[in-house]
Amino acid sequence: MAFVRVCSEDEVAPGEALRTESAAGPVALFNVDGEFFAIEDTCSHGQWSLSDGYLTGDQIECTLHMAKFCVRTGKACSLPATKAVKVFPVQRQGCDVLIDFEDGHFAA
Amino acid sequence: MSVTKRNDAGAAPSVSLTDLFDEKSGTISPAIYADPQLYELELERVFSRSWLFIAHETHIPKAGDYLATYMAEDPVIAVRQKDGGVKVFLNQCRHRGMKICRTDGGNAKAFTCTYHGWAYDIGGNLVQVPLEQQSFACLDKKQWGARQARVDSYKGLIFATWNMDAPTLSDYLGDAKSYLDLILDRSEGGTEAIGGIVKWVIPCNWKFAAEQFCSDMYHGATSHMSPMMAASPDTLPGDPTDFSGRQFRASRGGHGTGFFVEGAEWLWRVGQAGEHVSGFDIAAAEQRTNLHRSGKRPVGFSQHMTVFPNFSIFAGANTARVWHPRGPGEIEVWAFGLVDKAASDAEKEQMRLMTLRTFSAAGTWEQDDGENWVEVQRVLRGHEARRTLFNAQMGAGAPRGEDPTFPETITNAFAEEAARGFYAHWQKLMTDVDGSFSKAGSYADAAE
Repeated sequence: MAFVRVCSEDEVAPGEALRTESAAGPVALFNVDGEFFAIEDTCSHGQWSLSDGYLTGDQIECTLHMAKFCVRTGKACSLPATKAVKVFPVQRQGCDVLIDFEDGHFAA
Repeated sequence: MSVTKRNDAGAAPSVSLTDLFDEKSGTISPAIYADPQLYELELERVFSRSWLFIAHETHIPKAGDYLATYMAEDPVIAVRQKDGGVKVFLNQCRHRGMKICRTDGGNAKAFTCTYHGWAYDIGGNLVQVPLEQQSFACLDKKQWGARQARVDSYKGLIFATWNMDAPTLSDYLGDAKSYLDLILDRSEGGTEAIGGIVKWVIPCNWKFAAEQFCSDMYHGATSHMSPMMAASPDTLPGDPTDFSGRQFRASRGGHGTGFFVEGAEWLWRVGQAGEHVSGFDIAAAEQRTNLHRSGKRPVGFSQHMTVFPNFSIFAGANTARVWHPRGPGEIEVWAFGLVDKAASDAEKEQMRLMTLRTFSAAGTWEQDDGENWVEVQRVLRGHEARRTLFNAQMGAGAPRGEDPTFPETITNAFAEEAARGFYAHWQKLMTDVDGSFSKAGSYADAAE
């Protein structure tokens, strides 16, 4: 367990995303109505940045081919994507948002 | 690209005919979809010299049964004769050119022009002329029968051509026949047409449709994503770009097809809208054709095919259609259901419903395609758009013939090899001033 501070919570407004680099590759942090979730940033379909996408509820839609992923589970919800992306544990400490980049995994 | 003859002076399209398609660089000039002069030249050099689809045998089973259809812009009547043969003749009275048949189809004893009453028998012979005795000095009615086309058929499909020097239909289809057999001869008794002919008009060039059915598996994963999702409401369907398939480019003639051989089984769901459809499909059919004998065959909702120039089939959706050209920017689509004769009535009904849901006037997949073609055509109203080259490079250089089970194919369904074959043949016809390329002898020699 190695949670690393990524930002303070007011840096990512609800409905917004933040892209961050890590040893595990780029990770996207999403604010879903005050809850924070982190998944791999690269779309499993077209290798594009998901943090650049449109967040509706807890689904992020890639801007290039409209593939959708659940930001809670990383699972693909719409073609053309069929493969999930990894999720990363997120913690809050005070106003800070932390991600454990070492524990990226596919949700069950 | 080799071009035998340059454009003659008579027709003067705004671009050089030799620059319209360049196989080497894989580029297409969009003028070929929009230029009215090129279209006029197509009517002469492509449509009047090629074999054109007319009807399925089962559309006109009995003597006197007829279908009024078109060979490109030319209206024709196809009629079953008393000897069992079929005649196809111009639907134009030899007196002043009125249609001699004004209905879509049926059974007739004769065709009488509604203008001055010239009457023709079901073979198109002029048999009666009002006031002939009183007012014509000497009319040789034998000389004034309806213009006859040359007719031939292949496994239930009737074709006709105005080119009396054309190769036989069998030679014209060439190595594309084995791939047509996958559809036409996959079960005992072959195929039959069901239901009527569904007709609709959309504003796009005929080649967008013909080329896509010839060659384009690529667009599916983008254009048809929505019906694929709708067919799988509870689970995410598989990845259509993972399927393994083949693409065939006819060694001559501009025909092409493509299909999946593995992984595409789930695609059957797309036309079924949640209902269970019986197992009467390609996989369940007897392995009758040469291509089936190895045990390999196309699977699922997959085989697209165009017989040059404008007849297309989509096997999985049981649809066959003609893209009748109506000027450079419009087509009449004439589509009908093509099912296995040996299937049960219940199975045929399921196939009919599948066709309606997918590839028909209100079919979900059909509308995805029409939207693209019509929009491209609209873009080509632009002067700059008409002179900005299209890219047809996909799969260029891929070796053909590596899979002995599927001759003349490349081992990738996602390619534009068949499209390049389509345009290479089209260009040869367009640059052939005197029609020598379309004659039987030169045709058989000229690999493309």
